[in-house]
Amino acid sequence: MIGGRKFFVPTMLAFGFAFLYVPILSMIFFSFNNSKLVTVMDWPNSPTLKWYGKLFQNDQIMGAAGLSIKIATMNACFSVILGTLAGLVLARFGRFRGRTLLAAMTTAPLVMPEVITGLAMLLLFVAMEQLIGWPAGRGVTTITIAHVTFSMAYVTVIIQSRLANFDDSLEEAAMDLGARPAKVFWRITLPLIMPAIISGWLLAFTLSWDDVVISQFVAGPSSTTLPMVIFSKVRLGVSPDVNALATLMVLIVATGVVLSAIVMQRQEKRRAREMQLAASD
Amino acid sequence: MILKPGCYALTALAALALAGCGTKQAAAPSAATAAAAAAQVTDDEKVLNVYNWSDYISPDVVPAFEKEYGLKVHYDVFDSNEVLQTKLLAGQTGYDIVVPSANFMALQIKAGVFQKLDKSRLPNLKNVDPDIAQRFDPLDPGMQYAVNYFWGTSGVGYNVEKIKAAMPDAPVDSFRMFYDPEVVRHFKSCGVTILDAPDEVINTVFVYLGLPANSEKPEDLAAAEKALMAIRPYIRYVNSSKYIEDLANGEICLALGWSGDVGQSATRAREAKNGNTIKYNIPKEGAVLFFDMLAIPADATHPKNAHLFINYLLRPDVSARNSSAVHYASSNAAAYPLIDPVVYNDRGIFPAPETKAHLVANLPRSQAYTRLLNRMWTRFKSGR
Repeated sequence: MIGGRKFFVPTMLAFGFAFLYVPILSMIFFSFNNSKLVTVMDWPNSPTLKWYGKLFQNDQIMGAAGLSIKIATMNACFSVILGTLAGLVLARFGRFRGRTLLAAMTTAPLVMPEVITGLAMLLLFVAMEQLIGWPAGRGVTTITIAHVTFSMAYVTVIIQSRLANFDDSLEEAAMDLGARPAKVFWRITLPLIMPAIISGWLLAFTLSWDDVVISQFVAGPSSTTLPMVIFSKVRLGVSPDVNALATLMVLIVATGVVLSAIVMQRQEKRRAREMQLAASD
Repeated sequence: MILKPGCYALTALAALALAGCGTKQAAAPSAATAAAAAAQVTDDEKVLNVYNWSDYISPDVVPAFEKEYGLKVHYDVFDSNEVLQTKLLAGQTGYDIVVPSANFMALQIKAGVFQKLDKSRLPNLKNVDPDIAQRFDPLDPGMQYAVNYFWGTSGVGYNVEKIKAAMPDAPVDSFRMFYDPEVVRHFKSCGVTILDAPDEVINTVFVYLGLPANSEKPEDLAAAEKALMAIRPYIRYVNSSKYIEDLANGEICLALGWSGDVGQSATRAREAKNGNTIKYNIPKEGAVLFFDMLAIPADATHPKNAHLFINYLLRPDVSARNSSAVHYASSNAAAYPLIDPVVYNDRGIFPAPETKAHLVANLPRSQAYTRLLNRMWTRFKSGR
C-alpha cells in the first residue's frame, strides 16, 4: 500500500500541475512563434520577439489594457469598501429588519446569469440618463459601477465568512479596556480580517479584469476593455501579439507572487527574532 | 455661439432653437449665424464615435481622416449583429456611426433607431455602383438611412490540395459540394463546416434546390430541412468564425463561408507557408449576398461628423484602400480601378458579370417564419 501511495501521490500531483500550467506554458511558448497563425509553429524563424514589438505598437491593445487596469483597480477598491461594510453588517449586527433581504440581494449577483445582469444594467443606465442625465453616456463609469455590483457580492461572502470564524472575545476585550466601537474596528477587527480584505481585493480585480459579457452591454464609445478587444478578434483568429501580452501578464503576476513570498518570509523571520529577544529579556 | 449638443437638429429653425436650447444662449443668434451653423461641416465638438466590426478597415484610414479634419475618432469594435442590435434598441449608444448587416438594419430602421441621411452632406454618394445599390434597395428604399460599406457572398471556401486528395473531380464551383450527400461524404474525414446564420444558409439551400430565395412557404422550408438533415452527418461543426483559422491551419478542408473571411484565411495560410492553399468560389447556381451598412443612430450626438466620415469612406481612394486591406468588395464604382488587382481580379470577391446576375439578397422574414426557421435550425445543429 505504501508503495502504491509513493507512486500515486506524485503522479496525481504531476497531473494536477500539468492541468494547471501546460496551457499557460504553451501560450508562452507560442508567443515566441514567428507564424501569424496562433497554433502553427514556424520552426525555422523561431524564436522571435516580433510579437512583443508588434504588441507595443498596437495602440488598440495597449490602450485597452490600460483601461482594463484602471477599471479593475477602481472596481477592486470600491468593491472592498462596500463588501466589507455589507459583510460586517451581516455578520455582526444580529437580526435586524431587512437582514434577509440584504443577504439575498448581496448574493443575488453570484447566481444571476451575466447576460441578465448586463442587460438589466444597460436598461438602468439608459433610463437613468433619460431621467436625471447621469451617467451621461456609457463608458468607464458605467462599466465600473456594473463591475462593482457583482464583485461586491464576492467580497461580501469572503468577509462575512472570515468574520463568522473570528473570535468575538478579542473585540469584547478591547471594548472592556475602553475602546470605542470605531477604534475597535480600526485597531482590532480590520487588521484581523486584513487577509480576507486583500484576497477580496484581488478577487474583485480579477473578476473585473476578465469580464466580457457585462462590459459589452454597458460599454460606450472609447471604453473597450482588453477582454472585449481579444474577444472581438476571435472572428479572425486571435493574433499572436495577444499571446505576447498574456505572457507579460503572467510574468508580472509571477514576479508579484515571488516578491510577496520573500517579504512575508522576512517578516516571519523578524517576528521570530523579536520573540526570541522578548523571551531572553 | 455655443450650442448645447442635441440642438443641432433645430438650428435651421432659429426660433425653435432658441426655445429648445434653454437660457444659455439668451443672446439671440441672428438668422445668419444660425444658417452658418447649419452649413458648417463639423459639429462643435470635434469628436466622432464609430462602432464597426473588428478588423474591418484599413489601419491607416482613421488617422488620415483625423488629420484631415482635425477630429478625434473613438473607434470601437464589435463582433456580432446581436450585440449591436441590443445596444441600438436600448438607445443612447453614444455612437455616431454603426455598421449593421443589412438584414438586421431593415428591422432596426422599422424600430426607428436611425436618422435619415442628409444627402447634401454626402456628395460622394454619386460613386455608388447602381447595380449593387438596386440589390439592397428593398432593405432601405432609396438609401434613406444607410450607405453600403462592404458587400460579399457566402460560398465555397476550400483547401485546394485536401479536396483534390479526397475527391479528384470535386465540383468546387457548386453548392453540390455541401448539399449533395454523394459529394460531401468524401470530405467528412477532412472536415466540413457550415455558417451559423440560419436565414442566410437556408437561402443557399433554396438556391441549390432551385427554389425562390427568401421564400416563406412551409413546403420550401421542409424541403430545405430535408436537404440539410441528409448532409448533417458529414458536417463537423456549425460556426461563423472558427472556420477562418481552421481552414488556414488545415484542420478543415471545406467551409460554407463568407467571401472576405475566406480571403483572410487564404492570406493567413499563405503567410504561414504551411502548404495549404485556400480558395473561395461563388457557386455557379448563384449565391446569397450580404451587405454591411453605414448608418447614423437617431440619437447620435455628432451627426455632422458622422456624415463627414461616411462621405470620406465613399471617396474612391479611401474605399479602394479599405477594400484592398480587408478583402471585401466595395460598392464604390469610382474605386474599382484603384483597388489592389489581386483583390479586384479575385472572382470570389468581385464576381464576373455573368455570376453577378445569379446573386440574391438576403431579405428579412416575418417573425412567425423566423420562429419556424430557428426551430428547424436548432434541429439541424443538434442533428436531431
